[in-house]
Amino acid sequence: MTWVELSLKEWQRRPLRTSLTTAGVAIATAALFSLLAFQRGYREGVRQELDRLGAHVLLAPKGCPYDAASMALHGASWPCYLKQSYLKEVRTVPEVATAAPVFMAALYGLESRQTVYVGIESNILALRPSWRITGHFPAREGDLLLGSEIAQRYGWHVGQPVPLPGLQNQFGTVVAVLAPTQGADDTFIHLLLSDAQRRFHHPGELTHILVRLKDPNDMDKAVAQLRGCDAGLAMNVVPLAHVFHTIQALVNSTRLLLGCIAMVALLAAGAGVSNTILIAVAERRRELGMMRAIGASSGDIFRLVWFETLQTCLGGAIAGIVVSFLAAREVEALVRARLPFSPSGSLIRWEWWVVGVCLGCALLLGSLAGLLPAARAAAVPPMMSIRNRGGWT
Amino acid sequence: MSGAREASRPIISATNLCKVYVRGREEIKALDNATFEVGVGEFVALVGPSGAGKSTLLNLVGCMDAPSSGTLKLMGRSVEQLAEAERTRLRRDQLGFVFQHFGLVPTLTVAENIALPALFARRSATGKTEELLAKVGLEHRRDHRPHELSGGEMQRAAIARALVNNPALLLADEPTGNLDSATGETIIELFARLNRDGLTILVVTHNSRLANSAHRHIELVDGRLRQGVTTDLQSRAPMLTIYPAPA
Repeated sequence: MTWVELSLKEWQRRPLRTSLTTAGVAIATAALFSLLAFQRGYREGVRQELDRLGAHVLLAPKGCPYDAASMALHGASWPCYLKQSYLKEVRTVPEVATAAPVFMAALYGLESRQTVYVGIESNILALRPSWRITGHFPAREGDLLLGSEIAQRYGWHVGQPVPLPGLQNQFGTVVAVLAPTQGADDTFIHLLLSDAQRRFHHPGELTHILVRLKDPNDMDKAVAQLRGCDAGLAMNVVPLAHVFHTIQALVNSTRLLLGCIAMVALLAAGAGVSNTILIAVAERRRELGMMRAIGASSGDIFRLVWFETLQTCLGGAIAGIVVSFLAAREVEALVRARLPFSPSGSLIRWEWWVVGVCLGCALLLGSLAGLLPAARAAAVPPMMSIRNRGGWT
Repeated sequence: MSGAREASRPIISATNLCKVYVRGREEIKALDNATFEVGVGEFVALVGPSGAGKSTLLNLVGCMDAPSSGTLKLMGRSVEQLAEAERTRLRRDQLGFVFQHFGLVPTLTVAENIALPALFARRSATGKTEELLAKVGLEHRRDHRPHELSGGEMQRAAIARALVNNPALLLADEPTGNLDSATGETIIELFARLNRDGLTILVVTHNSRLANSAHRHIELVDGRLRQGVTTDLQSRAPMLTIYPAPA
């Protein structure tokens, strides 16, 4: 038998009480773990999503730039439009390498399923170097480039004539299918820009323009020029890096608040653990005295009770991390529903350092919470083994 | 071997041992000038009415408490000035304790309970535990927990635990106090057998059968050793007086 085994056996004495105490630590650790994993996942998710967009600047109709970014990323019907003629002006800005026009519309079919149509030109490929296409890029009206998920959903393949979901009596031909991108592109139906404008009755209009710069370091200069041109007065010039930083700053301030809540939960759990172990020590005074009588030093007793506290906290932390893993999907859905901007893909991403931080916090908590009960236990005199029976006679 | 015959080499030597407890303004003299010796291999019963100071004396001999005055030598070593750490070492390495309430840890098996003092001594007790289980007849109860045992089995497990570090002296506080007479008899026989094997035993008891199985008894009344001649209970021969002479 080892010291660890001896302290582990203590769990069997009051399983319900120990489990409830452990559950307190588990809840606090789960909150901390989810928070850290969310921070990581959200930051990565937003960064990847913006990278996937392939643009440095988003030109959108006047309005909230974050809404515009969200709609461009996830697909939506836009409430207002840009004139296609602005494109010419944008392309005259020397810092602009590519200006890709986009017309986007979303339709709801049966089962409230959204179908997003995206009208594009072939220069979009300069912004999406990671696209892997089976087939060829749409060359004429009626040609469709499908995202992998939508192709799979309908069971469509290259060369197949298909009815367009949500558009009555309209048809197209699948000319290409995208390999999975793990982004919103997987759910889009891409078609030629002019074809999309015609089908949705918005000839000469765009929903947004994606701009890639020759050198991203010239962002400020490029933005100033874009805002300074005639078209700039009618457009919202949104540098996506700024969007990223602003979103991140908002999330960071929320994280600080949530972090404080998680720390308070941890401290409350620590107080609970300390209290429970103190009660256990009070209940076991005669037993602890007996241990002292048969040769345990006060240091041994201190270590024994301290181990018990550490094990409770460590057990709670492990349980909390496991619960966080299992409930990640539900937590993510909850968070996603309340966020103004949430990237596709998993919002909660853990790494080993997150697990390490949570276990470290639990160990620190256990170490501190165990000090008082362990000191009380170590102070139990060996005479207690006899005294409790009926005085000192 | 009858340990009584080796009384010339004392394992316990107490001279004018006093213990005073203070409760508020009140001073209670629990032990008053106790002088006695116990020799190597002896089996001595400490008897007397409740409140006489038997447990106080056992606490002092067991290094669980320090005397208020007087001298106490265990294995020839003065213990009254020992630091707490040294008392702990002495308890762990030289003394074995048996309690009336058995004192088994409820979450541990019999084998684990027996091995507990060895853990405190940082020793491996695997072989010794098996040997002691056989000695007290509990091999079949090895992996049982205390609540699954009878009173007699629990006390035998406690005795095995007291022996795991090979103590020189076994101290027992009312070891049959919680047992029926038949079960108590098996414990008395076990003590007698351990003593025959050379173990020195000092037992506090109200049980006349246990007291009578000892070589001699020391009687305490109101914190004082009763003046008189102790009796070799086995031979019924008078022994050397170890009580202080009458004033």
